[in-house]
Amino acid sequence: MFDIDWMSLALPFAYISVLGGSLYTFSTIYRKRKASENANLEPWFPPHLQRNIYLTLLHMEPEAGQEKAPKVPDSVIRAALLRRAVEDIRRIFQIRTSKQALNTLLQRGSVGDDLNQRFLRAEREIQEELKDVMSEANALAPGWGQTIFQSANEIFYNTQLRADLEEIESRAAADKEWWEKKRETIQKEFMKELDQESSTKSSTKGVSDDEGVLVDSGTPAATPSGPSKKKKGKK
Amino acid sequence: MSDLDTFTMLPLQIDPQTKALTTTSNSRALQAELAALNSFHRSLLALETPNQVPPPPVPVNPKRSANVNKLRDSGSAEYRKGKYADAVKFYSLGLQMALTRPLWEPQQLVREEIATLYANRAQAHMALQSWAEGAADGEASVEAKRVGNPKAWWRRGKCLMEMGRLAEAKEWVAKGLEMESEESELVAMLKDINARLEEKEKASS
Repeated sequence: MFDIDWMSLALPFAYISVLGGSLYTFSTIYRKRKASENANLEPWFPPHLQRNIYLTLLHMEPEAGQEKAPKVPDSVIRAALLRRAVEDIRRIFQIRTSKQALNTLLQRGSVGDDLNQRFLRAEREIQEELKDVMSEANALAPGWGQTIFQSANEIFYNTQLRADLEEIESRAAADKEWWEKKRETIQKEFMKELDQESSTKSSTKGVSDDEGVLVDSGTPAATPSGPSKKKKGKK
Repeated sequence: MSDLDTFTMLPLQIDPQTKALTTTSNSRALQAELAALNSFHRSLLALETPNQVPPPPVPVNPKRSANVNKLRDSGSAEYRKGKYADAVKFYSLGLQMALTRPLWEPQQLVREEIATLYANRAQAHMALQSWAEGAADGEASVEAKRVGNPKAWWRRGKCLMEMGRLAEAKEWVAKGLEMESEESELVAMLKDINARLEEKEKASS
């Protein structure tokens, strides 16, 4: 019964072991490569400046010549945490707006999967970051975790609004100069026309001069502004 | 950041008296951020809430809104009396008060206040014939409140027309019509602009 013919079973066993071994090797190497590629993916966002500032403040090292670390007052740390929250809100905003576009592009196949991977990774990181900020806020002040993101949201929108308004104001200053110059040129041409009209007509007509001049000067003012506008072009 | 465990240590120093943060690094981004952080910190120090954290956006202290409204009403009173320069001054004061509100107060409220103030100031400028400022104020008002603000759209359109910038005015009023859906005055203004553009074409050709 135990008269097994090992020799002729050697080949099938060898075949099975080679097959199994190669499948196993392939799968492990492939998974390792995928994992390392994932880890080496280029991050979606640049380094988080506010987060670095906040954590640096928490872990301040003593300067050369001092014995212990300088004490950073709590208010500074709270301010730093709030700035970090604002930056997070900005990133979330960017992620939400890009998500739709990215999905459309993916469906059409215009971008590869690595972009999607980077995006998903960024999303995950932001979620963790939010949780982290919330717990830090609760540690710094009881109950702050809930309101910090509301405040950060308002700060974000308010900063944007003020930046937009400032841009408009700066353009207004330039506009005003342009308009003053233009108004001067219009008036100069207007005066020139008046002088010409009055010098040609003064010899002939009498009182009706004034009306004539007034009526005519209505249209010349419009037409010089027309061609002169074309010359000046649009800013 | 499976590296939520790591961070980059930045070279920061804190001044013990002023509690301001400085850095030895040359990075402009870092310096700008620290400047913002320092000013933010100072504004936080003025808070009276427990732990000096910004309060939740609502409810908001009505004191500033009351002041802004008072300034706006005085501005309107001056306008009705015909003292347009004074009206502009009052409105500018109101704008200053509205814009120096702490950043964590609700942006919707800020937008409402600013939209009306800018629109009224635009009207005062128009009465003074300062079309450039009027146009800028109209634009700012629209920036703060795009929908439901037909007056501001109309005022900037009028200022642009008076300055002779007809093509810009046409674009602007067209955009306004998209937002305000067939507001009658804007439609009339668009017709007016088109008519003027045509007669300019005829005059130049």
